Amino acid sequence: MASTPSPTPDPPSQEERRAGFEREALVHLDTLYRVALRLTGNAADAEDLVQETMLRAYRSWDRFTLGTNAKGWLLTILRHLFINEYRRRRRHPEPIDLDTIEPFAVFEDIQEEDPQGAFFDRIVDDEVLRAVDQLPEAFREAVMLSDVEGLSYEEIAKVMEVPVGTVKSRLYRGRRMLQGKLLDYAVSMGYIKGPPK
Amino acid sequence: MNCRECLEHLYEYLDREMTPDVEREIRNHLEACPPCGEQHDFEALFLKFVKARCSTEGAPPALRRRILEQLFDE
Repeated sequence: MASTPSPTPDPPSQEERRAGFEREALVHLDTLYRVALRLTGNAADAEDLVQETMLRAYRSWDRFTLGTNAKGWLLTILRHLFINEYRRRRRHPEPIDLDTIEPFAVFEDIQEEDPQGAFFDRIVDDEVLRAVDQLPEAFREAVMLSDVEGLSYEEIAKVMEVPVGTVKSRLYRGRRMLQGKLLDYAVSMGYIKGPPK
Repeated sequence: MNCRECLEHLYEYLDREMTPDVEREIRNHLEACPPCGEQHDFEALFLKFVKARCSTEGAPPALRRRILEQLFDE
């Protein structure tokens, strides 16, 4: 097998750089926007956050290794920007110790009445998003990254800079809390009777 | 594998985050145990529901245009 020594590649042209960025990074624009929207809570801040993320990403694009996980890389940039530029403006820091929150047991509450979770289908999209927005930030972020954007535990751990075990626990509690909020809403709307109080 | 262990790892199973061995153990338990099977179906439906309902919105076209302009039109 003859192998020719590989020549040092020329630095990419502007066009190549642009094409690479469009192919690898800009395809994740919807993901970045959805996550930004849930983090900031409003469209104007979400748009600014995404635009700034893309700008920073493009500036350091030459340091990104092609073939590695661009989605995770972009989300990490977005999250750092959010923490540094946006979150500190907020008046209400997270007051509760997340680990003390008892996980809800929604299935146990409704398994007699609606074991197939048919009540979910009656809830409109806006109410689902509103319930997601009510989750503590760390839970909301984990649920978005996993359940909506499809990142693995390992990828989420990297983006959120926590151990994989913490990701699991946040997902468990976040999902159960979200179910609890959706169930409360469905009961308040009369979609389901719910557990006896 | 008992019910407690099975339910404890249900999300990891649904997220395809288990080793093949444990995954098989859980699958066997779910097939043999209707109550755990029911909870599995409920949680699976919930996860599908969250994904469907929270991913309808994408980036506004104007934002995309603004980014393209900012990055490439210089």
